[in-house]
Amino acid sequence: MWRIVFWRELRDQWLGGKALVMILIYTILLGIYAYLFASNSELQLLPVKQMVLEIVKAAVFVGLFICLIVGADSVSGERERATLEGLLLTPTSRRQIVAGKFLSAISPWPVALAVAIPYWVVLSKGDVALGHALVWGPILGTLLAPAFAGIGMLVSVWCNTNKTSMLVSIGVYLLLILPSQYSGLATTTVTTQATDLSDLFQLLNPLGAANRLLHDSIVLSVPEDHLWLWITTPLLFPLLVLGVLFAYVGPGLQLEGGVRRLRARPV
Amino acid sequence: MTHSDTTRTEVLVAEGLRKAYGPRHALRGLSFTLKAGRLLGFLGPNGAGKTTSIRILTTIMEPDEGRFSVDGVSNEYPEQIRRRIGVLPESFGLPKQMTGIEYLTYFGQLYGRTASDARSLGMELLEEVGLKQRARSLVSTYSHGMRQRIGIARALVNDPVVVFLDEPTIGLDPRGQQELLSLVQQIAQDRSAGVILCSHLLSEVESVCDDVVILSSGEIVASGTVSDVIGKTEQNVMRIRVPFESLEEAQRELAAIPSVRRVAPASAMQGWIRVELDEAAADDAHVNNRVLETLLRAEIPILSFEPEGGRLQDVFLQLTAGGIK
Repeated sequence: MWRIVFWRELRDQWLGGKALVMILIYTILLGIYAYLFASNSELQLLPVKQMVLEIVKAAVFVGLFICLIVGADSVSGERERATLEGLLLTPTSRRQIVAGKFLSAISPWPVALAVAIPYWVVLSKGDVALGHALVWGPILGTLLAPAFAGIGMLVSVWCNTNKTSMLVSIGVYLLLILPSQYSGLATTTVTTQATDLSDLFQLLNPLGAANRLLHDSIVLSVPEDHLWLWITTPLLFPLLVLGVLFAYVGPGLQLEGGVRRLRARPV
Repeated sequence: MTHSDTTRTEVLVAEGLRKAYGPRHALRGLSFTLKAGRLLGFLGPNGAGKTTSIRILTTIMEPDEGRFSVDGVSNEYPEQIRRRIGVLPESFGLPKQMTGIEYLTYFGQLYGRTASDARSLGMELLEEVGLKQRARSLVSTYSHGMRQRIGIARALVNDPVVVFLDEPTIGLDPRGQQELLSLVQQIAQDRSAGVILCSHLLSEVESVCDDVVILSSGEIVASGTVSDVIGKTEQNVMRIRVPFESLEEAQRELAAIPSVRRVAPASAMQGWIRVELDEAAADDAHVNNRVLETLLRAEIPILSFEPEGGRLQDVFLQLTAGGIK
């Protein structure tokens, strides 16, 4: 049943829905960003590796944001449009409904990645940084896209209105991304463990850890076997989010905002 | 209207359903049954607990206490119940990007049908509800009446044994209401489904339903066949309409009749007089004639006359105002 929900959601999102609009905006913005890097004389002073890092970060983090927003619309949006009740009245289990919507919510990520890669290739100008970008950009995005779509859906399940769902989701995103941009990236030293409080916060923040990993890999060319510490959070964070979504919140999905108290039931 | 048939199977049995939202009790022990092929009107003023009842019975919400079964399946198995019910919610949205046939095919698939099977069923249902010509139009372009019709078609996609229709005629013009009610009757008769019709339009419930449940403050204040429920009300009141300039004179004449207890202008009905008779007079078959005769002798034109309590609307107003006899 989840496949049926998934295909319908996918169609809704990509035929005049939020995903299509956001990917179009993303493509335009990424193009402008890449053009500035490639043509602006002041920005050209940046080392190639730094330019590649910036464009990879932009692609990954904006791609995650799109997944978050699509997830945030998935349930509360249907509540607002009064289409959720019809879905809940079918014998499809709540978990399968959530699964279909979740898979659809992560669908913007592969598209965003496909759009971004040509820009990475052009800006890298054959630098070795491209190889690192092509490894870690897709890995981190693919790990974190489900987590951010999941966060959006968790918020969406709890909220009665789409406006609240969007605002809370954007708030969560800002809480995660802002600290990740201002923590100790000036370092040129290679670390395999968190050395101070700043590093610890960065390690615990999935976007902070991803940022650090991309930096160490693309700019510092740190070997893969020295990056395991920074991949830990991007690996564990999605497991946590998806565990909460599918084990607790999904089965308790209800017509009104919030989550129904679960009880043992022989279904 | 179909006739009572005690041999029909009970397709819905509710026993002692209770639900509270914090300190407010929305349902205080709802119990009733619905038989196959019968149309049950589910009535009550705003806040009586109708929506809560429907949401519990359609498994959207869980009761705090009590139980119910649909086609013998206990509410402990909500997914199984959802296979056996069809629901037209009071307000339901339609996706923007789907045509009528795509919409029904989608829901058919959610009930386990293959795409081709669901599509052919969808075409049959569209024909049944009179939308076959618009099968390939986007549902977002449908009129309100067409939206209600496709909502009913969706409710029938799983060939349900119980159909819940929450205010299906709201917002429709009189012809649209008439057509939709005919469709609802047809569903109960042709499919032998039990149908629960929630409505504020009491005349429509009276004209199409076999049975009725009236809720007030979360409790059933009357239930049974429509005629049984109408019989539960006070029958010793009548309303008479006279020209406006004769109102005062008519009231004086009527008040002078010995068996008349009280005469007053009918509230919210301009030109009407409400005449309450003594309890004993209610059993006198000729009392109405004597009342009218009094007005005729006084040469007061009678524009209209009706006994109160003879319509479901009167019953509803009496019972939900605490006036049960």
